[in-house]
Amino acid sequence: MYSKLIKNDIRKSKLITLAVTAFILIAAMLTALAATLAVNLFGAVDNMLQVSKSVDFVQMHTGDVDMEQLRSFVSSQPSVEDFQVLPFLNIDGAEIVIGDGSLSDIAQDNGFSVQSAKFDFLLDLNNELIQPKDGEVYFPIYYMQEGAAKLGDKVVINGVEFTMAGFLRDSMMNAALTSSKRFLVSEAGLEKIRGYGQMEQLIEFRLKDGVAPSEFEAAYIGAGLPANGPPAITRMQIALMNGITDGIMIGVLALIVILVIIVAFLCIRFTLLAKIEEDYKEIGVLKAIGMRVGEIKKLYLAKYGAIGSIACALGFLLSMPLAEPFMQNIRLYMGESDRQLAALLCGLAGAAVIFGVVVLYVNGVLRRFKKISAAQAVRFGAPQEKSKSARSFRFSGIRLFSRNIFLGIKDILARKKLYVTMLTVFIISSFIMIVPQNIYNTISDKSFVTYMGMGMCDANLYIKPTQSQDVIPKANEAAGILANDADVAKYAMITTKMFDMKADDGSTRKLRISLGDHSAYPIAYSQGTAPTTESQIAISSLYADDLAKTIGDEIVLSAGGAEKRLTVCGICSDITSGGRTAQAIFDIEPGDILSVGIPVSFRAGVDANAAIARYKGQFPFAQVYGIEENIDQMFGSVIDAMKLASYAAIGIAALLTILVTALFMKMLVTKDRYSIAILKTLGFKCADIRKQYLTRSIVVLVLGVILGTVLANTLGEYVGVAILSAFGASSFNFVVNPLFAYIVSPLLIAVCVYIATMRGVSDITPLKISEHIKEA
Amino acid sequence: MNKIITGKNVVKTYGEANVLNGVNAEIAKGEFVAVMGPSGSGKSTLLFALSGMDDVSDGSVMFCDTELSSLKEHELADVRRAKMGFIFQQPTMLKNLNILDNILLPAMNAGKKDTAKLLQKAKALMKKTGIDGLENRDITEVSGGQLQRAGICRALMNEPEILFADEPTGALNSKSAEEIMDLLANLNEEGTAILLVTHDAKVAARADRILFTKDGNFVFELSLQRSSGMDMEARVEKVLAQMAAVGI
Ligand SMILES: Nc1ncnc2c1ncn2[C@@H]1O[C@H](COP(=O)(O)OP(=O)(O)O)[C@@H](O)[C@H]1O
Ligand SMILES: [Mg+2]
Repeated sequence: MYSKLIKNDIRKSKLITLAVTAFILIAAMLTALAATLAVNLFGAVDNMLQVSKSVDFVQMHTGDVDMEQLRSFVSSQPSVEDFQVLPFLNIDGAEIVIGDGSLSDIAQDNGFSVQSAKFDFLLDLNNELIQPKDGEVYFPIYYMQEGAAKLGDKVVINGVEFTMAGFLRDSMMNAALTSSKRFLVSEAGLEKIRGYGQMEQLIEFRLKDGVAPSEFEAAYIGAGLPANGPPAITRMQIALMNGITDGIMIGVLALIVILVIIVAFLCIRFTLLAKIEEDYKEIGVLKAIGMRVGEIKKLYLAKYGAIGSIACALGFLLSMPLAEPFMQNIRLYMGESDRQLAALLCGLAGAAVIFGVVVLYVNGVLRRFKKISAAQAVRFGAPQEKSKSARSFRFSGIRLFSRNIFLGIKDILARKKLYVTMLTVFIISSFIMIVPQNIYNTISDKSFVTYMGMGMCDANLYIKPTQSQDVIPKANEAAGILANDADVAKYAMITTKMFDMKADDGSTRKLRISLGDHSAYPIAYSQGTAPTTESQIAISSLYADDLAKTIGDEIVLSAGGAEKRLTVCGICSDITSGGRTAQAIFDIEPGDILSVGIPVSFRAGVDANAAIARYKGQFPFAQVYGIEENIDQMFGSVIDAMKLASYAAIGIAALLTILVTALFMKMLVTKDRYSIAILKTLGFKCADIRKQYLTRSIVVLVLGVILGTVLANTLGEYVGVAILSAFGASSFNFVVNPLFAYIVSPLLIAVCVYIATMRGVSDITPLKISEHIKEA
Repeated sequence: MNKIITGKNVVKTYGEANVLNGVNAEIAKGEFVAVMGPSGSGKSTLLFALSGMDDVSDGSVMFCDTELSSLKEHELADVRRAKMGFIFQQPTMLKNLNILDNILLPAMNAGKKDTAKLLQKAKALMKKTGIDGLENRDITEVSGGQLQRAGICRALMNEPEILFADEPTGALNSKSAEEIMDLLANLNEEGTAILLVTHDAKVAARADRILFTKDGNFVFELSLQRSSGMDMEARVEKVLAQMAAVGI
């Protein structure tokens, strides 16, 4: 009996059934997709870290490493499982010549290394250990996407020839966001080029399970072991770096999923309430003849159970091919996930959860059956909403609107509850359309680097000890030339140095501080300001967490034997140098300088690319990067992922709007057929009546889009922060593209609404007066 | 040509069932015609067909000199709005609007800009039908009789040439029915043609002519020219006798 009733009901309202099915399907599909991708991403990261036997703790060091000292340290540390020291031969990008070109344009620290014997293996694209033959070189996977080299290319380093033999996965330095990249050559190969670059050492440790890297780091530094490179990296950071690009996309996807699910439930609620209202009399009759509420509910539950199970099953099936394009990037960088079955099961579980929620939700809505009084229902049908504002909105008092617009607005006022559903959907649609776009705009904007610990300049010169032994004189030479360069509007000189810091417990740790005029190229501070006096220091949020310092706290440095007391004046987000940086403006004593950075701004009208090319020739001792290529190389993959996600969001929002509006209008026309028949007897044309419905959708649309846009640019920012905080950017303002946010996206939604409304009200024309008004 | 409605050989079928079997009917301008017949005999169907609210399966319906089936949807709507008024057994009112706005509805549709004049007219009609003072009531806040009067006011807003009434008194008590019929008779005196469907001999007795239907055909036509000087009682007698003869 159930199946017969369901079939009849579905046949009678095909479009509505279709729309509800579509919503459940989309919700199930996206949930399954997000679940599958998340599990696969974690699986792939984990798998790569495992196969490559990734490190738990790495410290870079320039110069010799005392192996005896290291060995005795390790023997005193029960937490260490294994350790090794690997070479990392810094070669300037310009020296790596491939055919006619070189890697000079790529802002990465390129280092040559050999395959390790114990752990931290470099893997090929099948996740197998590479054993390079003499004369072969393997490139980091990053260069595959950059298109820098292909299999079989001749690679020449200072006259030493190699053959490009393949790409490698490097668990530590895979991600575009990591600024160093490892190339793999044989032992003999490394020997041949040893003289052409600065040798750094990677001091690597694998720790026993359950050992906190921070404790180990303290012990390492406390033992005074070599550590003049960038701050140490731990396994957490390595995993994070590997997953971040895809993770952000999954985050955006999850945001869309949540909103789509809300819309889906709004629609289910709306259809169900409309259906109940339509069936009101019948429900009353059923009750009157003694049918129990539970039995009536079963009829509805059976229908939605049937629709829900089909939609969820289809949604899950569809999510599988849809995951493919997203999986490609994950697969390329990290290889297959070892949890494909688990991912599939999680996807299935996600779809099943949606099904369960649908049934529970329908059950909840049906609770109002209890409230239906049989007598009332049979005599009067569903009760009308009472509204004061609707009552005072009258023909007789209003001369502003034409009759059709009046009737449209009147209906909205009289049945506010009904239209709130539609309004919510429009708000959500605008939100889905605008927020990912805003995130995309924000991270692709030039100013985004200021949230990442970089100033907004046109070009950057870096002078590092690996390129030039006499860093300071060379930097001064460059500054002198820039000062007389007609193209240059301004520049600054920022020197980065490692200092010893006295921790509160008396131990010493390293602090990486950039010194110079930070006001010339300000970065964004999430709290406080840049240092303005010699006794102030600003620190990155990772340092703030590490050191448990906030604004107003004191940091004590030991510089040149004396103590230097500084007050924390600002906290910023930073992703450069592993996220651990600080800024101050006191004078530098000569010593271990890590690098000098010279940000440069050009005058208006200067061809930046030409100037940058000129500097590359002019300053052979420096690395010169245009800010745009810098951003592109660091965030390129994230930006691409966000772009994809934001376009997907636009599509989803448009689809949602069309579906919901068409559904809504169709149901309204069904509901209102009696009123429509009356209007027709009174000589209203079909075109008039359509205008009334169009008025309803447009009024709700305008409200919805305004609210949605406002919310997207306020509340949406918090959502954006939540997603982008993965970068360490803890607070920022959206960069809004006004053309898109305020014109294109509202117009797009308006067009969708118009098309869907016209489609939805197409039933007005064939509606026959006689069938709805004729007396018995 | 003084015919306002001319139906020739009007056929209406629903699927297999013939509801109207080639009916011929004429209504002169200013004439009051009643239709009587057993339930299900096609009275309402006829009314809808002759007013152009429903299309016909065969035959033709003329409004004055215009063939209704030749008109487009919007032209038909214009004729309906400007020239015809409708009254039904159950008052067909929009739930969202109050009494006054419901009455104003067709007039606003006519594109009349002068709201003050329209208001005046609506109020005059309400007074005439005895429902003045109910302007701002919700349609759920008045009685059935009052609602029916409001329906009449609405039908009269555009000063139609013909009123179609489908059992307008069917849902009312006899006193209300009497009052409504007085109103309609008055209107007819003033020149509005009326085509009225009813079961009630007393109601039908007010007409100039009564058409008796059975199974989709006219079986008898009773002429009750008011000029004949018959008093009301005699007319009702005559109608009742004819009803019995036809078998209603
Ligand atoms: N839309 C329809 N579809 C099918 N049959 C209909 C429809 N409307 C009316 N009928 C049939 O036509 C016949 C005449 O109906 P109607 O004109 O309403 O009768 P009356 O008004 O004389 O009581 C009835 O038998 C009815 O069942
Ligand atoms: Mg009837």
